[in-house]
Formats: sequence, structure tokens, C-alpha cells
Amino acid sequence: MTYTAPVKDISFVLNKVIGLREIAKLEGFEEATEDMVGAILEESARFTGEVLAPLNSVGDKEGSTWSESGVKTPEGWKDAYSQFVEAGWGALAFPTEYGGQGLPMCVSSAVQEMWHSANMSFGLCPLLTQGAVDAIHHHASDELKDRYLPKMVEGVWSGTMNLTEPQAGTDLAAIRTSAEPAGDHYLIKGTKIFITYGEQDLTENIVHLVLARLPDAPEGVKGISLFIVPKFLVNDDGSLGERNDLKCVSIEHKLGIHASPTCVMSYGDNAGAVGYLVGKEHHGLMYMFTMMNQARHAVGVEGYGIAERAYQQALSYAKDRKQGQTLLGKSEDDQGIVNHPDVRRILMTMRSSIEAMRGLALECAAAFDIAAKHPDEEVRARCQRRGELLTPLVKGWSTELGVELCSLGVQVHGGMGFIEETGAAQHLRDARIAPIYEGTTAIQANDLIGRKTARDGGQGLMELMADMTETLGQLEKADNTNLKAIAKRFKVAMSSAEETGKWMLGQNDATMPSATSVEFLMMMGRLAGGWMIARSAVAANQLRSEDGADTPFLDAKIMLARYYAERMLPLVESGKTIITESAESTVSVAVDQL
Amino acid sequence: MSILILAEHEGGEIRPATLNVVAAAKAIGGDISLLVAGLNASSVAEAAAKIDGVAKVLHCDDAAYEHELAENLSALVVSIAEGYSHILFAATAAGKNVMPRVAALLDVSGISDITDVVSEDTFIRPIYAGNAMATVKSADKVKVVGVRTTAFDAVADSGGSAGVETVAAVAANDQVSFVGQELSKSDRPELTSAEIVISGGRGMQSGDNFVMIDEIAAKLNAAVGASRAAVDAGFVPNEYQVGQTGKVVAPNLYIAVGISGAIQHLAGMKDSKVIVAINKDEEAPIFQVADYGLVADLFDALPELSKALDG
Amino acid sequence: MKILVGVKRVLDYNVKARVKADKSGIELANVKMSMNPFDEIAVEEALRLKEAGHAEEVVVLSIGQTQSQETIRTGLAMGADRGILIETDDLLEPLAIAKLFKHVVEKESPGMVVLGKQAIDDDSNQTAQMLSALTGMSQATFASKVEVDGDHLNVTREVDAGLETIRVKSPAVISTDLRLNEPRYAKLPNIMKAKKKPLEVIAVADTGVDVSSGLSVVEVNEPPEREAGVIVGNVAELVDKLRNEAKVI
Repeated sequence: MTYTAPVKDISFVLNKVIGLREIAKLEGFEEATEDMVGAILEESARFTGEVLAPLNSVGDKEGSTWSESGVKTPEGWKDAYSQFVEAGWGALAFPTEYGGQGLPMCVSSAVQEMWHSANMSFGLCPLLTQGAVDAIHHHASDELKDRYLPKMVEGVWSGTMNLTEPQAGTDLAAIRTSAEPAGDHYLIKGTKIFITYGEQDLTENIVHLVLARLPDAPEGVKGISLFIVPKFLVNDDGSLGERNDLKCVSIEHKLGIHASPTCVMSYGDNAGAVGYLVGKEHHGLMYMFTMMNQARHAVGVEGYGIAERAYQQALSYAKDRKQGQTLLGKSEDDQGIVNHPDVRRILMTMRSSIEAMRGLALECAAAFDIAAKHPDEEVRARCQRRGELLTPLVKGWSTELGVELCSLGVQVHGGMGFIEETGAAQHLRDARIAPIYEGTTAIQANDLIGRKTARDGGQGLMELMADMTETLGQLEKADNTNLKAIAKRFKVAMSSAEETGKWMLGQNDATMPSATSVEFLMMMGRLAGGWMIARSAVAANQLRSEDGADTPFLDAKIMLARYYAERMLPLVESGKTIITESAESTVSVAVDQL
Repeated sequence: MSILILAEHEGGEIRPATLNVVAAAKAIGGDISLLVAGLNASSVAEAAAKIDGVAKVLHCDDAAYEHELAENLSALVVSIAEGYSHILFAATAAGKNVMPRVAALLDVSGISDITDVVSEDTFIRPIYAGNAMATVKSADKVKVVGVRTTAFDAVADSGGSAGVETVAAVAANDQVSFVGQELSKSDRPELTSAEIVISGGRGMQSGDNFVMIDEIAAKLNAAVGASRAAVDAGFVPNEYQVGQTGKVVAPNLYIAVGISGAIQHLAGMKDSKVIVAINKDEEAPIFQVADYGLVADLFDALPELSKALDG
Repeated sequence: MKILVGVKRVLDYNVKARVKADKSGIELANVKMSMNPFDEIAVEEALRLKEAGHAEEVVVLSIGQTQSQETIRTGLAMGADRGILIETDDLLEPLAIAKLFKHVVEKESPGMVVLGKQAIDDDSNQTAQMLSALTGMSQATFASKVEVDGDHLNVTREVDAGLETIRVKSPAVISTDLRLNEPRYAKLPNIMKAKKKPLEVIAVADTGVDVSSGLSVVEVNEPPEREAGVIVGNVAELVDKLRNEAKVI
């Protein structure tokens, strides 16, 4: 199944909804003009469609394989990765001083959507490298930066994140991997699991970022330090030296993302793996958290990226497949199942949800961009709050919804969807990891309620609601019945969410909110997505009156927003009932009664 | 009106394409002259004189015309162009190489690949890989036209009795020379003039598997073609390519095997009289143009077909 | 040596052309446009010749609307050095295009002009041949291999029966065929650099070239549709139908 990147839709969000033009005015982002970003998106579309997408299915079938000598990626992977590096795609958002292009996060997110739509297993390798680059760039010494970053930015070395241990998953306080000081370096010993691309045959070197404890470290999360542990040691002249004392001892057999090797890594089976401390001792977890927002955002992009692929596949099948007389088909030749109203419901649900998620993710990224570069401190702070508030929504809501949409994509195919050969099932299997890694949905919900809402007394949330109210005003003012219909549902959804938020903040016992926090996350995701798609309707309505307007495209944007408002926003209303009323029954049955 | 046609020939014989061009000229109407340029081509000129509907053969014998070099042929055509209302070429690789030069040297527009004659100055030609048909009208003093050979039924190569006149050669261009050629060796009929064509696509999976197609082609006396995807994948050479960027064919029977039927391929074969598609993907667009579709794995169907043709 | 490459902005290869309701042409508003695929091959070939040391500069020329600048930028992002746009809103015939190319050739004196063998919109396959005829530059069309040999080129050409090789003296006009090369993907840093490369825009009127044409489009129609056929159950049935119903074997 082919993939054609939705460049027109993505550009519409960037240019007309979130306002790329304003971001390109910020110092350091001058390159990100609409023209330039358009050219980048076009070429990325070509590359992902022609090089990465065709490898998606073979990657699933063949998977990465482990042997004593290492991990072998599927046929064609290595060549595609070297083309990827050669074209410089990995370096999009990286700092210019280390060879990156320094483009805004909203642009790199737009490009990354295409990686994940085309081939999510492939996209994970550069994604992890990006996380490692961010960590080193923000926290490591200049010497370590100079030694590792240029090759990582270029992509000839990859990066990994080593957090999880068998006994330490979500609870990182239980980490046992140890680090012994040994002169200018440390010797690392321990086992890490779930290490994405911990070993592969794509790059010359792999730079592992490993969380470990020093001998004198305090208990718990305040005693964890972060180390760079390269697969091959790096000589002073930058050349590769000895093989470090670390290896991948096995890879997992998984539900999906078969081509992405999920490794069990063993450090220090012999003398100890040579590692270099990043930043200060015992600050490891804090460093990890500073890049958590970016990493979580990136996984949220995966969530709708994979759903976009599933949508394209379902749409294509629905147009071709003929079953029975349809109610919407206009002629004998026009009887694809796409003309059954229920199939339309599924496709509209998929398409409008993807557009809502894309809008939200790019809005969130743009907030971080402004937070990074705006001259006014107050604006920076407000945008940072906004980005941080939206991040758990992007991660939690988009990945959960992504799974649902991929499942709907299977449904469109009927029995054929359940057959692996069709390819629809792979998307569902691949999508399933996204609500789990980089913090499960429950963790995102805690983050939303705790760190992102309660901690600032709801300031970020109130600012968001104020912006939504402004959009509501635009919808109500517009001389367009569709926009008025959106306004009607949006207004009710907003007040439901506000009331629910007050209820949440008003609970004294943490148990009640905690029992329904995921529902609250989903509610806020749906509402924020509804806000973004409503803004796209406002923008489309304005553009309709311009000369040479692409009316069919703009009308579709408006109708998608209305469908979303009428089909998805009522779930925000019911969410209020669920959250405020079901919390007690959720936790009232004793464990031995379950 | 009087029409000049550049005849194509090789190995001492008129190429079939020329007979289609004469048919197009007859549709325009007027005296038809055929230019035979070559080296030691008297026998060709004599054969040309017998073609139905030809009033006059102009024969130019010179080493400059041995290898269809565009510079030399176009200079010769232009040297005798005076007085003609139309100059026609076959839309073959050789014809396409010369036609635009002649048009430019005469300072008129070239009209590529016509598929129909509406009137002496108005023609129909496919654009956008045949997704649209343009009706174009020329106000130029002379109409320089390329003829899509598959669109005009060939005239008879006998029955005519034109006179043969000799014309003087034009000095050869000294900047270009012919080095050599590497022609596909095949005892099969030529692709564009075969009665039956069987083509393989990406579904063939390898060049080696084309032996299955060759075997059937031998039994049907068919030419072998391929989709662009099969050429891109290196299964077969480019001269097999049927489609917008390859050859246009319109045989009595076209068998597409393992070809999905991208519009670019359809552009090259959809005027075939009968189209058969064999593909395991029942949703493949090729079935929309096929008269007979067989949904089957080609690796089963081809051996079966080969066997069935023996019976 | 300088190489001049022609690039045309056309309806994207993957977009199905739709005839306008008024039959005046093809619907081009708000559809995806891209560089003509044969022109991508032309840019690639020029870049390879430059990388092999046979050329110092690759100049891309497009003739068309303002938006053709995007197509030129695509060529620059692939690695060409500078661009020229001759701007016009009219759809020009190959003869006019060839005359405008000649105008640029006279100014730039390239040692080679590389053009796509045909544009996938009008499918004319004329411009390279016309340019050669108008300028006296040598002609080597439908190239599948280009070898530089001093001031000569050995060009292997795709002909109907296979391949032929001709030797032409520079300066020459080459038109590209499919197998000449596989165009590269633009690198991200080059996409970003492309914006800073020089792009000169000239109005058609300022060239002094007569672009009038004797050819006009009367109307454009949908092609006739084939009638739907039947699906046969097996090979035996297929052979039977071909023998006894269609009578083609």
C-alpha cells in the first residue's frame, strides 16, 4: 500500500491555522518561511513516499533479527537509512552549531509525521537519536558535545535512551544499574530492557544514554545519574576505538513495530562499560525530564501519523471495493463502499480526528518554538506553559485515538482487514505501542492533572480556555451556518470541560480524580482538538472569499470541523458525567471481588 | 494540396509505420509524395512507388542518409519542402527525431502524434498521456505533422504505380556521426506493428521470469512488451516499454500480465482491439480497461495458458 | 563548460488530468504541480557531469508562470547553481519555447543544453530538436548514456529497435530518456541553500523573441471510454473466449 504525504493539509495547518509566518519572524527561525517549509515538506513527502513507505510491510514481515554478532535490520533498511542520512533529514531541528538546520519544532514535527506514516518502525531510530541529542546538547559538557554531537546530528551515529530495567519500569526510583568512578570516566554495570534500536546495523556507532547510580547515591529518584556509554569508544581525533563492554543479549518479540529492535542491553559483563557523566551527579532523572516534553510530543505525532496511513489505506479500499447497492452512489460506476453512509462515518471520524490531532500537535510545537525564541519574557513563559499543558494531551489523547482509528481502518476492510496480507492490520499492531511507551496514558493523565494543572493553580488551563472563548466568538460571528453549528457544540463542550475541571481541582482525596484522570485527559484532548479544527474552519471560511480560492478544499475543511463538532465534541459532554459520577464505583469493588 | 511524407525504411524494406502515415495523408487528401532517403536505397524507392495512394516517390541516395541522422534528414526535407501544404512523419523514434527540426527550420509549429484528421488544418492529438484529446488547428503555411501510426489503418503496400524522381542530396553535417547500434535480437514481430502483444509488469518479479512470457509469445507469434515499472526494475530493456513514455501499440490482442494499469501504461495500449488482463489483485485498474480479466497468480496462469495454447 | 537545463512545471505525475467543463483545456487550478519527470533526469545528468569535472556551472531555465520559480528552486535544491525564469502566463508552443531557449543560449553560451525528451502535459517531444535546428548545436535525443570525450560527446540513444550510439561535437542539445539516470533526492541543506542561489526573472516581452504561434487549441475533450469487460473464471475459459468470441487467436 502506498503512502502520499498530505502536504496540502499539513501546510494548511502550518500556514493558515497556527501562523508559521509569525514564527518565521523570530530570531533564529528566519529560514522557516512558508516557501521554504513548502519545499521541505514536498521533498520530505517524496522521500518518505518513495523510500520509506515501501519498506513498511517488509519490515513487519521480516522484522529485525538477533544473533551473537548483532542485530540485523530488514532487507533494504540499511540503504534507506543511508539515504536518509545523506539527505540530512535527521538534522532538521538540531542546532546549527553542530551541523543541524535549526528549524522550528513545528516544522520538524510536520516532517516527522511523514516518517511515522510511511514507516513507524524506521522513524523510531532517528526519533531516539533526537532525544539523545537533545539531552547531550542541553546538559553535557562542551567536550562531550563536541565529541558526540556532530556525528549524531549527521545521523552516522544513532542515540538510544536507557531508562527501564526489569524491576524499574514506570517507577524509575528502582533503578539498580551502577556506575563506579574510574579516573576520567565511570564503569557501568547492569541490565536495561526495552531499549529501542539498542543495537542495529545501520550506523557506525551507537551512543547509549544510560541512567545509573553512583556508589554514594541517595536512594530513590534523586540518586540517579545520566551517562553517555558509546558502543565503540571514541578516540581524541574522533575516530572509533575499542568496542565497549556492552552488548545486546536479545530482542523482544512484539505485537507490532517488528522492524524496530527492542533490545535487552547488558552493560559491563566484563570489566564494566566505559561511560561519561552527563552534567552533574544525581541529576540524571531531571535531565531526562527536560526532554520528556519533546519526546512525548514526538510519540503523539506517531499516534496520528500511523492513523493517517491507516486512513489512506481505508479510503483507497473503500473507493475501489464494491458491495451492494449504496445509498450515496450516483451511478452504476459509483458504487464503492465509500458510498455507504456508515463507511462515510468511519472515514469522516478518521479524517476529522487526524486533522484535529495534527492541529493540536503543531499548535503545541509552535508554542514551544515561541517559548524558545520570543524576545518578550512574558510571552515566552506563557507559551512554555501552553506547550507543557498540551504535551500530555498530544501524547495521551493522540496515541489512544490513533489506536482506535487504526482499528476503524481495519473495520472498513471487513474480513480483508483481518487478513495480514491486506496491510491494514499492521497499522493497528504498530499503533498499539504508542499509548504505552514514553509514559503510559495514565502517566500522561497524572501529568496533566498534577504537574500541568494543579501545580500552577490552573493558570495554563485558564489561559487555554480564554483562547478557546475567543475562537468561539469568531465562530459565532461568522456568516456561515456550518460555523454556527460548530459554535453550538463547542460552547457546550467548553462549559462541560470547565465544570469538570473545577470538580477535579475541588477533590481533597487524590483517589477520585485519579480513578477518572484518563477520562479527563481524553476529554481535554477532544476539546483541544475540537478547538484546533474549529480554528481551521474559521481560517477556511475567511479564505473562501479570496480570489481563486480552492473552494472544494476549503469547504471540506469546514465540513470536517462540523462533523467533528457534532460527532466528537458531545463525548466531552458525556465525559463530564463519566468523570464526576463513575469515580466512586471505579474503586469501590475490593480486589478479591474482581 | 500536396503532402510530403518522409518514408522510413531499414534493411532494404519500407517500415510498416510508413503505410500508416500514408493512410493519414489520404485522410487529409491531396497528392502524396514519399521521400526515400538512404544509401543504396533504389529498391526501397521502387517498393515505395507501389504503395497504394502514393503519387510520386522522391529518391535521394547518399551516404549522409545511411543512418537516419536528424540533421541530415531534416536539411534534405527542408530543401524540397517548397510547395507542399503538409509534411508528415511517423511518430516513431526516428520520425520524432526529425519532425520538430523540420518545423523549426520552416518556422512553423510542429504537430505531434495526431490520432485523427478533422480537416486539412485541424487534427486531434492526445495530451496528458491520453487523458485528454486536444483538437488543434494550424494556420501555418505548411503543416508539419507527426502521425501516431496505431491510429490509422495501414494502406496496402501494393497497387500503386508512382513515378520515381531523383533529388539532390544536401551537404552532410560534419558535427554528428553514427557510431553503432545494438538492436534487440528477437525473432518476434516488432512491438508497434505486431498483431498480438503480451506484456509483463512488476508482478513478473524478475527478468528471468519473462521466459514464461516469451514462451507464450512464440506460440501466438506475439511481440513482447513491458510496463515502465518492469523496465525501471531492470527486468527488460527500455525498447520493451509500452506507455506514455515508451511505445504506443494498438494490436488486435493485448495481454497484460502482472501489470496494475497505471494511467501512463494505459496511454500506450488502451486502443488495442481486445485487451486481456491477468493479475492477482482484483482491484487493479487494468481490469477497468480489459475485455477479459483473469484474477489469478500469474505464476499459475502463465504455464496453464501456455499449455492451453498447445491444445 | 556551462550546462543549461530546461525544467517545466507540469501537473504532477500522480494527479489525474481532468478536462475543464468549458473544454478549453485541463484543470490546473489548485492541483499539485511538479517538475516534469524527464526534466528531473536532465538536471541529474547535468549535475553528474559537473561532479565528474566536465562542467563548472549548471543553470536551470524555466519558461512559464511566476510559480515556475518553485520548479527552478527544486532544480537548485538538487544542486544546480542558478536559475532563470522567463515569465509568461501564456501556454507557449514548443517552437516559441525553443526560440526563447535560443535567446538564452546566445547570452549564456552553454557547452551543452539538456532537456527532457517530452513534457508529460502536452507530450510534444519537440523542444530539444527545435533548439538544435535553430541554433546549429548538435542534436542527441532520447539519450540513455552520455559520455564526454574532449569536445565531443558519445551519446547512446533509445531507438525503437534498441540502442544506437552517435558521436556529436559540442555544443550539443541532449534530450533525456528514462534510463539515463535516476534523479537524486534533494538534501535538506541544499533545499535551504537553494533559496539563496541567484534566480533571474525576465519577462517574455523583454527578450524580444516572437512567441506567436500558428497553432491553436480548438477544444479539449475527454478520451472515449472503453466499455467494461468480463472477468473469466479460469485460463480455459479465457482461451475459449479469445478463440471463439473475440476470434483473435
